[in-house]
Amino acid sequence: MSAPWFKFGLFGDEVSFLVAFAIGIGFGFFLERAGFGSARKLAAQFYFTDMAVFKVMFTAIVTAMLGLFYLGWIGVLDLELVYLTGTFLPAQIVGGVILGFGFIIGGY
Amino acid sequence: MAAPNQVATDSGRPETPEKTRYMNPYLAGVGLGLVLLASFVIMGRGLGASGAFSSLVVFAVDTVAPAHAQANDFYRGYLEGVDHPLKSWLVFLLVGILVGGFVSGALGGRIRRMIEKGPNISARTRLLLAFGGGILIGVGAKLARGCTSGQALSGGALLNAGSWAFMLMVFAGGYALAYFVRRQWR
Repeated sequence: MSAPWFKFGLFGDEVSFLVAFAIGIGFGFFLERAGFGSARKLAAQFYFTDMAVFKVMFTAIVTAMLGLFYLGWIGVLDLELVYLTGTFLPAQIVGGVILGFGFIIGGY
Repeated sequence: MAAPNQVATDSGRPETPEKTRYMNPYLAGVGLGLVLLASFVIMGRGLGASGAFSSLVVFAVDTVAPAHAQANDFYRGYLEGVDHPLKSWLVFLLVGILVGGFVSGALGGRIRRMIEKGPNISARTRLLLAFGGGILIGVGAKLARGCTSGQALSGGALLNAGSWAFMLMVFAGGYALAYFVRRQWR
């Protein structure tokens, strides 16, 4: 079966909202499990006292990346159809710095 | 600063009962990565959190000042071709995130009313800083077209160049300012 399933018309918009809700539950569950519900734990990353943000984030990125690569390689997933945000380096660099400031000031 | 896996209580006294301990970060990372992968495979898109807040803002502006919303390109982009500004994929995702986070917190015995902060600042200061930080995060996420979820996590897994630039700058910004707000946390 070809993926992304939604892009191949396996289900419509209404079902996609249910999918969003279900995926959101999984997302929120693992974020909280990892301790990302705690502003102090998140902030601790920036004082090198708790590196959980790095560990969780880069493990997640590598896990998903490997999955994308192998599913694309064996032809199950058409990577051309996976949405990519456009690259606007100046905006993304400035936005990243501002968000980083907000992260350590606000805690999330 | 509390050691890893310790949860500060309202009194500032850390406690580590077995139930409140967090999951191994690498295991949680694999779980998170698989959820992200599922989103790519099922939907052809990654996860995002800030987009839902854009929808909320558009909904609020459209309710209070519909003429202004229609005259503005940004708001109109969210309003055209949809039944309702809140009937968006990312809004449903956000509702799921709230439910999933609550379930995990409840299972871990971590649900309690508290203002999380270091012992050296008042709750009022902490809330003001949280508010100010929130504004910066909103501006930064809108400027970069995404936040730590949509850009750093999802775009990062796709090796999207702009997403990696964004992610590195988020950490750079956080580390650059951390010293000046250390009293809030430690």
